[in-house]
Parts: sequence; structure tokens; C-alpha cells
Amino acid sequence: MSTATRRRRFVSGPRCRTIPFAILALALGGCGGSSTPERRTLIDSRDNYDPRSLDPALSTDVPTGRAVAYVFDGLTRFTERAELAPNLATTWEVSPDGLIYTFHLKSGVRFHDGTPFTAADVKHSFERVLDPATPGGRGWPLYPIKGAKDYAAGKLKSISGVEVPNDTTVLFTLAEPFAIFPKMLAMPATGIVPHRTPPDFGEHPVGTGPWRFVEWRHDDYLRFARNADYHGGAPLADSLEARIIPEMSTAEAEFEAGNVDVLWVPEQATPAWEENEETRPLLQSAPSLRLIYAAMNTTHGPLRDVRVRRAINYAIDTRVILRRLMGGRGTVAAGVIPPSLAGFDSTRAPYPYDPAKARALLAEAGYPNGVDVELWSSQSEQFPRIAQTIQAYLARANIRVKLVQRDASSMREAARKGNTDIALKDWYADYPDAENFLYPLLHSANAGVGGNVSFYHNATFDSVVSASRREQDPAKRAALYRQADSIAFEDAPMIFLFFYKEVDAVQPWIKGYVVPSIFNGQRWTTVSIKHEAKAGTK
Amino acid sequence: MISFIARRLALSIPTLIGVLVVTFLLLYVAPGDPVQEMVGERADSATIARLRKDLRLDEPVTSQFTHYAGGILRGNLGTSYITRRPIIQDVLERFPKTLLLAGTAMLFASITGIFIGVLSAQHPNGWFDRLALGAAYLGISFPVYWVGLLLILLFAVTLHWLPPSGYGGLRHLILPALALGTRSVAFLARVTRSAMLDVLNSDFVRTARAKGLREHVVVTRHALRNALIPVITVLGLDFGYYLTGSILTETIFSWPGLGRYVVNAISRRDLPAIQGSVLFLSVVFVLVNLLTDLAYAKADKRVAL
Repeated sequence: MSTATRRRRFVSGPRCRTIPFAILALALGGCGGSSTPERRTLIDSRDNYDPRSLDPALSTDVPTGRAVAYVFDGLTRFTERAELAPNLATTWEVSPDGLIYTFHLKSGVRFHDGTPFTAADVKHSFERVLDPATPGGRGWPLYPIKGAKDYAAGKLKSISGVEVPNDTTVLFTLAEPFAIFPKMLAMPATGIVPHRTPPDFGEHPVGTGPWRFVEWRHDDYLRFARNADYHGGAPLADSLEARIIPEMSTAEAEFEAGNVDVLWVPEQATPAWEENEETRPLLQSAPSLRLIYAAMNTTHGPLRDVRVRRAINYAIDTRVILRRLMGGRGTVAAGVIPPSLAGFDSTRAPYPYDPAKARALLAEAGYPNGVDVELWSSQSEQFPRIAQTIQAYLARANIRVKLVQRDASSMREAARKGNTDIALKDWYADYPDAENFLYPLLHSANAGVGGNVSFYHNATFDSVVSASRREQDPAKRAALYRQADSIAFEDAPMIFLFFYKEVDAVQPWIKGYVVPSIFNGQRWTTVSIKHEAKAGTK
Repeated sequence: MISFIARRLALSIPTLIGVLVVTFLLLYVAPGDPVQEMVGERADSATIARLRKDLRLDEPVTSQFTHYAGGILRGNLGTSYITRRPIIQDVLERFPKTLLLAGTAMLFASITGIFIGVLSAQHPNGWFDRLALGAAYLGISFPVYWVGLLLILLFAVTLHWLPPSGYGGLRHLILPALALGTRSVAFLARVTRSAMLDVLNSDFVRTARAKGLREHVVVTRHALRNALIPVITVLGLDFGYYLTGSILTETIFSWPGLGRYVVNAISRRDLPAIQGSVLFLSVVFVLVNLLTDLAYAKADKRVAL
């Protein structure tokens, strides 16, 4: 999933990033500690644009995905550390051929409106997401189920692969083995909705999740109240508010004033936050399942030659870009699998910065006078600066770069149509698995609209990835992931840049907050405001 | 007057049709694919093709336009591609907030600007005039986002007097209205000053003074009223600035108005939302221009409608 619509990087118009607000505030002596607020509402400030809806079927962006995770439950869920955990399903097993999954559901769970949750709701919810009349287009996580694709195309009356033998059991028959299928059921789109969903369901959602929906003031805030009967343990705080603040400097000011509890720290502000002794203890971080990379179109001119693509990787000092432009937020990538996921190979070193080698490779490829390429980037966040820096590095290796800057939507369209040479992009995982990087970004089945905008096609890579999707044994699967990643690293269909590190500032009075590694991993159930016992000074 | 209003409203119809056509065509030729924005990445071509058909995006531009314009004629601005809510509902929810912000900013700007202008004109090149002139130059030169951030920094972060952002009561309104109005204060002060100087040097003001009227009566009753015509023109024209300037102000102060809605719609290629909002704002613009003309007549009896 691209972060252009998924994370703060969504550029919603003219922004004033010229002012490093924290620094200015520090200079004016503004950074004073606020005292613990009286409120009993947790306030989040990480959303920077309005969710598109609170209907799971429409959840394609981060604010929507987060809110859906508060109100709805899937059969499974992701923890803050991006591990798979049971949710509405307590256990599940898979048949030896990897085709039939049996999920055993919790009993006694009720929706916020009091209706009991049963296995029939699962079938109904999945059919609703896939229904051609539901204009979400978010059915793909369920496509592994037999008949799901045909149902989505209007060819079937119901999904043949879903069976409900009793109220607490659901059976899924897959079209072909797909070992990480349970992870699909933790995505926002596969959240369970009650049988009756009125037309304004997206505005007044009813789920079984830890938080009941209370109020949504568009572009302002979302408010939720504690579901005291939550089957997974009621949230500690009374209520939760997600404020929608488009401008980061404003969010920083709100944090500074003590009005919000958690703040996403912008990259360029990170050093200022880290160097200040008052603000440093407030920072928390987590490795994020987000890859920043530049897809090289392997069907374009000199980029067809693997030596040219490797030369480009050798010609860029990624560490310097990471340190200087990203506030050191991340680790340099040597492949597409993030360090926290199975399949990551810690022995593989990133491409070192070696301009001489880059020039030699170019000469070997028959380009002693260098090559000309176009580098596309969106206007989001640090991307234009990263693009300019890459341009400068490549110039030293005799690779002449023409920068093309477009808004995110235009760039995405151009890249998918194959009109870009190199496209600076990022990818934020939908689910925590190496497959979510290897398959969409590089498998030839996803060339173009599917996400592989390198138009990379390597038959061996494809077959290894396809095999990994079927492999039931986790260790063998991880080995296949490692193998595929290694092939991709050698073929260099992209400039491998970095895996991102998420940094949030958390108020000192907040207890139990963990920075999530995946966007819907933090459901605020164990977070609370630590109200100090009143001292007798008043 | 009624016939004047009717005539003006009738004349606005071709303008609005023009807006409709131009917006539609601009969005048609703009890069970026609305369907891909709807489904996010990793969608399959079958879904994309189905949605494209559902939204009639696979039809020729003329038939798309006819369908859209037909909806408009029936009073239907359409449904958002992204949120699936009716556009009119989204617009009507946000526009009053933009109007409240713009109205307050305008009120602040006109009262302050005219007051400063009148005072400056009374003693041209005096210390107050020079100070006001200097401040006006600064006010015109500062971009609204800079002013906005400085206001937040001073009044919210450092002094803790007002909330940094958000929508709520009067306390939430003050900072964004100040930020949005500052540039206009400066401009209005300059315009009022020069209009007042012209009027104060005219014969009827001399006559009024010669009659022995007190200075404040001369200034407010006689001079100011006549100096207001250019000020009203500026205010009317400025309203456009308020609506567009409010996009930045709304972003900085997290004000849930129409400006932010439009910007979001543009970056998500939510075509009906963009078209609907632009059309709606055009209608507002036409109405404001009409009101400006009516205000001329009120301020100056010589203007016959």
C-alpha cells in the first residue's frame, strides 16, 4: 500500500514547512512542561486528513484504517509490534493440503448495538466487501478464498469458499494454498460488521471493537467511548479522540500546549527533539514496515541493463541521505524485506557508496559517456529533497538525471502506466509479512497497477515468490523469501533506500502507549492517563 | 431594485455555465486517475475496469458532461468518489464554518482597517500615519501561514491564552480570524487613507467645517461616508481572497472548512467533490458581487440601480 494515501505523507495542499517549529518554540523559550491535564479522554494527533469513511469496506487509507481498528474487530488482529494475534477467532487450523481453514469464534460477543455476533456475520461481512454494489474496490484481501473473485465480478450469488456450519465456526476453502491467509483477516477491510448496515453506516459505524463510535466532526475530530463489555478486555481510558490536524507545526503546538497526547514527529524536526533534554525523554520509536525506494523501470532504455541499475545503486550514498534528510530515521535497505520480518537476511550488506565502481559498470554496459534518465518524485515531505540529492550523486557518476516533480496522484498514474524511468516511492505494509513487499512490488503478476512499477520480470524470482505463498512451513517459507529477496537485490530493479523508523512524542502522563509498527496495530486499549494523586498544596 | 437583482441573477447564469464547463474540462485533462485513488494500490484491473464503468469514466467526455450537467440541473451535485457521501451534504456542513471564519476576519479587517485609515488621514505624515504605513507594508508582505504560525506560537504556545487550533467557540475563532484578516487590514487602511485624504480636501468638507461642525462629525458623517465607495469595492474583491486565503488558514488552524475539503478532494482526484465545491463557491462569488453593488447604492445615493 502506498503511503501517499496511507500516511501523513499525504500532501493536502500548500504547507509551511519552512519553519522548524520546535526549534522556533525552543528559541522563544516555549518548550515548557505542561502539567497533567484533568481530562479522561486520550487524544491522538497523528491523523492529518479526514478518514474517507468509517466503513471497513472503504478503508484504503491510514486514518480510516486506524479508526476502523478502534470500532471493528477482525477474526485476527495485529499487535503494536505487528504480530498476528487472535481476535474474534480464538483459534484456527488449516488442512494438510493448505486449502481449508477452520476458524473457531468467540461466543457471547455482542455488537455495540446489542446484537449478538455469530459466524453468519463473518460471511455477510465478507460478501459485503466483495459485493460489486459496494463501491469500495477493496476486495483483494479476500481473493484467496475460492469463488471470491467470481463473486466480486458478479458471476456468483455467494462466495462458494465460505461455510458456516454453526454459530461459532467458519470454514474457508481457498482457491489455492496461501499460507499467510490469517493475516488477511486482520486488515481493516475484513472487519466484521453487523447484519444490518444502513446507508449511512460509514458515518455511524457499529462493530464489536474496543471503542464505540460517538461522534465524527469532519476534518476536526473523531470521538469514541470505551466499550465496557469488550471481549478482549475493556479499554483503560474512558474515551478516545482522534484529532485531524493537517499541519505538522500545528500538531506540534497542540502537543506543546498539552492538548494532545501523542504526536508524530516529522523527520526534519527529529534532531531538534532528540537534542533537547526536555523533549528527548518523550520520544518513542519503532521500526516501521515501510520501505522507501526508487523503482527503476526495467523496460526503459539503459535501465534494461542490470549493470546500469547496479551502477545507480553504487553511485548513491544512502547513509548520508538517511542521516541528513530523514533525521537518521531508519536503516539502509539491502533488499525489500524489513529487518523485523521473517525472510530478512542480516548477512546481506547494502550497496556500498562507490562512484568509481558505478562508472566502471556503466562503461562495461557500453555507456562510457554516461546515461540520461528521468527521476520522478511527488511533492510529499522529504521526497523532492531526496530526489535532488540522488540527482547530485548520480551526476558524479556521469548519470544525468532530469527531475520530474508531480503531485502524488499524477506521479502514481504515470508510474503505473510505465511512463517513468525512475520513480521515488514508498511502500507501507498492509500486513506484516515479507510477501507484502516481494509480491506486490516485484512479482510480474503485479506489473503496473498491481504495484510493480519497475515492471520487473524474472521468472526465477516469480516462481520462488509463488512457491513461498503456498509454503506452509514457516522456516521453509522464510528461506524462500530470503532467496527471492537476494535475487531482487542482485537484479536491482530499484534504488534500495531505507526502511523507515516511526518516531512519536508521547506526553509524560501517558501510560502504556507503544508506537505501532503497523498502522492498525495500536488500538489504545491499554493506554491510560496517569492522574497523579493530588498533593496537599492547594 | 428588484429588477436590477433579477437582471444580475439572470446574467450570472452564463458565468456559472462557463465555470461548470471549464472545471469539468480541466479535470478531464488533468493527470491522475480517480479510480486508482479510490481503490488504493494493489487493486486488480478487473475491479478498476468495473468501477470505471460504474462511474461512467469510460464514456466519451461529451456524454460524461451531459450526465453531470443533467444532475446539476436537477439540483444534484453528485456523490463523492472517495467518501460515498452526497457532495451537497459535505459542502453544506463545511461552508458555514468557512463563512464564519471569513466573515469574522472581514469584520475585524474592515473595522480595524477603516479606523486606522481614518486616523492616518487626519494627520497625514504624522507619527501615527508613518507607523501605520510601516505596519501596513509589513502586513501586506507577510504570508498568511507565517502570520498564522507566529500567532499560534505567541498566543497559544508561549502565553497559553488561546487554543492553538480546532473549531469551537469564540476562543477558537480569534487566531485564525486575525491571521486571515491581517493582510486585509493593511490594504484597507491604505485605501481608506487615500480616499479620506481626497475627500477631506474637497469643497463640501471645507463647507462643513466652515459651518462650525465638530471635527468628528465632519470626519464620520461627511467625509467617511463618501470615502467608503472604494473601500466597499476592495472589500467585495477581497472576499475572493478570503475564500482562497482561507484554504491556508484552515490548514494551519485545523479549521474544518470548505477550503481544506477542496484541497483534499483535488489531491484524491475526487472529481464530483471538486466540481461541486467550485460550482458552489462560484455561486457564492456571484452573490457577493451582487451584494457589493447593492452596498454601493446604500453608501452613495447617486448610484441608481
